[in-house]
Amino acid sequence: MSHSSRRQFLTTSAAATSVLTFGRRAPAFLQQAAADSQSDGRILVVVEMAGGNDGLNTVVPYTDDEYRKARPELAIGKSDVLKINDNLGLHPVMTGFADLLEAGHLSIIQGVGYDNPNRSHFESMDIWHTCQRKDENRIDGWLGRYLQEAGQATSSDPAGLHLGEDKQPFALMSRDARVPSIRSLDQFRLNGNETAAFRKAVRELADARRDGGNDLLSFVQSSTSSAITASERIEVAGMNYKPSGEYPSTALANKLQTVAKLINSGLTTPVYYVRIDGFDTHAQQDGAHQSLLRQVSDGVSTFLKDMMAHGHGDRILCLCFSEFGRRVAENASKGTDHGTAGPVFLTGTHVKAGLIGQHPSLRDLQDGDLKHHTDFRQVYATVLERWLKCDSKAILRGKFNPLNALPPT
Amino acid sequence: MNETIDPVWAWAEYQPTAHEPWDVRRAAHLFRRAGFGATRAELHAAVEAGSAATVDSIMQSTTEPSEFLKEVDALATATLATGDVQKLSAWWAYRMLATPAQLLEKMTLFWHGHFATSAAKVDDAQLMFAQNNLLREQALGDFSALLLEISRDPAMLVYLDSASNRKAHPNENYAREIMELFCLGEGNYTEQDIRELARCFTGWEIKREKFRFNRYQHDTGPKNVLGESGKFGGEKGVEIVAAQDAAPLFIATKLVTFFVMEEPQPTEDLIAPLAQELRDNDMQIAPVVRRILSSNLFCSNMAIGRKVRSPVEFAIGFLRSLEGSTNSYELAENLKTLGQGLLYPPSVKGWDGGRTWINSSTLLGRSNLIRHLLDSDKTRFGRESLADYLRSQGAQKFDDVIDLFEETLFAVKIPSAARDRVRQLAGNSGGEDKLKDAVHALCTLPEFQLG
Repeated sequence: MSHSSRRQFLTTSAAATSVLTFGRRAPAFLQQAAADSQSDGRILVVVEMAGGNDGLNTVVPYTDDEYRKARPELAIGKSDVLKINDNLGLHPVMTGFADLLEAGHLSIIQGVGYDNPNRSHFESMDIWHTCQRKDENRIDGWLGRYLQEAGQATSSDPAGLHLGEDKQPFALMSRDARVPSIRSLDQFRLNGNETAAFRKAVRELADARRDGGNDLLSFVQSSTSSAITASERIEVAGMNYKPSGEYPSTALANKLQTVAKLINSGLTTPVYYVRIDGFDTHAQQDGAHQSLLRQVSDGVSTFLKDMMAHGHGDRILCLCFSEFGRRVAENASKGTDHGTAGPVFLTGTHVKAGLIGQHPSLRDLQDGDLKHHTDFRQVYATVLERWLKCDSKAILRGKFNPLNALPPT
Repeated sequence: MNETIDPVWAWAEYQPTAHEPWDVRRAAHLFRRAGFGATRAELHAAVEAGSAATVDSIMQSTTEPSEFLKEVDALATATLATGDVQKLSAWWAYRMLATPAQLLEKMTLFWHGHFATSAAKVDDAQLMFAQNNLLREQALGDFSALLLEISRDPAMLVYLDSASNRKAHPNENYAREIMELFCLGEGNYTEQDIRELARCFTGWEIKREKFRFNRYQHDTGPKNVLGESGKFGGEKGVEIVAAQDAAPLFIATKLVTFFVMEEPQPTEDLIAPLAQELRDNDMQIAPVVRRILSSNLFCSNMAIGRKVRSPVEFAIGFLRSLEGSTNSYELAENLKTLGQGLLYPPSVKGWDGGRTWINSSTLLGRSNLIRHLLDSDKTRFGRESLADYLRSQGAQKFDDVIDLFEETLFAVKIPSAARDRVRQLAGNSGGEDKLKDAVHALCTLPEFQLG
């Protein structure tokens, strides 16, 4: 990588920006967050389960009569669940997660949500991504704020990577840190004339500073520049990786395998983001939900085992969340409509395995919906403080108590 | 800074001045936003004709010549016979590229993004085709009629799981989205309104790919929707939603975002006159579109080059401005990888557009798409090779080529240093390969992503 493009990349990535490019000082509390961040090569992998996962049929209260009453068609049989304890069990297809639980690598945080829940996918997802409500000026996401201020100023690797063909998650947005989105490694390169002269010309054309005044142009310019640099870095990163076991042939597992490949090739990127869509199960939920849960459970457990086999196990924490759960009662189309609280999963060798918090009561509902007892920002605080080791208050825009899903540091 | 835009000035008719003349730059802007771009000859003719006459002619060319209709219908029939929805997506890309009724097609795309329905779930070419035609028929017509029709459209009902909606347990999905995404916007209804409206829609089903009302499954009891009470059915439910004050404001905001500017987000004050116009015209779309396209704001520097081109605008615009044609199937596939698969919107919210079009993958993908078009033996420019076409357009020297690209394809001027660098890349030989490299580099410029 040439000196100029390397410098260009640095100025558009992570923490470097606030110091190098703009000469602008980050607020003191954020500088503190950056200074405090000593993540020791730790990696966070976020799996977004988009569409509103039916938490009740994920962590199933299999002995609860109210559950069976509310779901004559969709309730999962007592003998079918993968028992966690005498009252709760995982959906029968989640054998991968059950193995992780058995091995002490899965933490199930129950009843996660927020006050005045919003049942719009888009609004609720924005709330989870930004930790802000609609009436606030939302310009960045919680991970974007982390990367912006606590990112790695000394690395030429992207501060975060989004794997997928969908649009970039709001959670990764920040003022200056440009997080590449990668559909597949093969396609993440410039085709055409492969000569150095052509490549050089394209890079110089993208890198050149434009006259000020057009924010949008500056945004596209820095995005183009970091895209070209990141593609060069990833091309060079070396692909001498063999998976330790066979990944399922699903889109999610493919993305996770790409993450594994990149981690193994020595990229120092601390945050990876993948998404699996389809949890909006308004009709004929049974088969679809089963397949989705299997993809998450098999995909994540294969990935974690693979990373352990490659000696990266202790560096990985995986967070699986959804924007809301479903209504308690099923609808006429053998599906469920938009609801509220649901479980969040943390997996990795460091987690405190088992159930965190109580299952939301089916006898104490609000308009037919579950009441949450754990704010999602407590989950983030746990991740930020106890995994990425930084001060979460500024990033989450408030003080939230971490959960004992990870041990205190 | 948005607060400073005076709504009266914004929507008054643009009059060319010495400072803001009706020139090629403005004409190109109009053709890009109201369609998918124009050739140099079309632009010069529009400058000659004047701004008002050009808008008039765009507004009038909204019916396609019968010969063209025959051609696209025959293509559609052949495509539907294969049952392959992906091919239908190629059919639409071809139609966008070839139709003389550019505004109609652009508006059809607008409604597709608004009433977003994905073939990934519907998986039925015939239903997707029928919905596409419905959108086109009402594209510049009556919004309320379109809203009612789309509410009963089989593709939509399949997409939002309302294929059978029974009174005992109504499915809330469509009731939520018609208020949140199709008509009012979040915050203009309550959860209770959703539950009540869902009851109005009970009994709405699909039988043999057609909408039908099953009165045995309809909840005939009294409902209370958005402050009105009665034993409403689905039609009345839709009517109540469409009659809300929030509706014209919501639709006008989306039109302004689509045609004029994505950032800063237009304020309610700025939109109010357009919302009023929609209401005064019983939600007819054409008059408000005309008002937008003829306005001061539209012709101002706050609009020109201040939007990120969508992949469709990017690719179809490139070809159309250079009289290009190519393999539509590959084009449609490429649009999908760039994030705008026709008939494959990412969710019921449609495409977010703006900055979300841009990320590392899509930027590299855009560059690669141009290269693919240039290298493909299926691509022709005015039925010729690129070099021959450019020569036929009077672009002899490489500087003429850059000028031609800048006039027809760039909303933002190419920086002079970039001109020099591309000229250097092209060298003096002027061979086809060098020309392709230079064009490829031009189209990879950040400036090229704005429209």
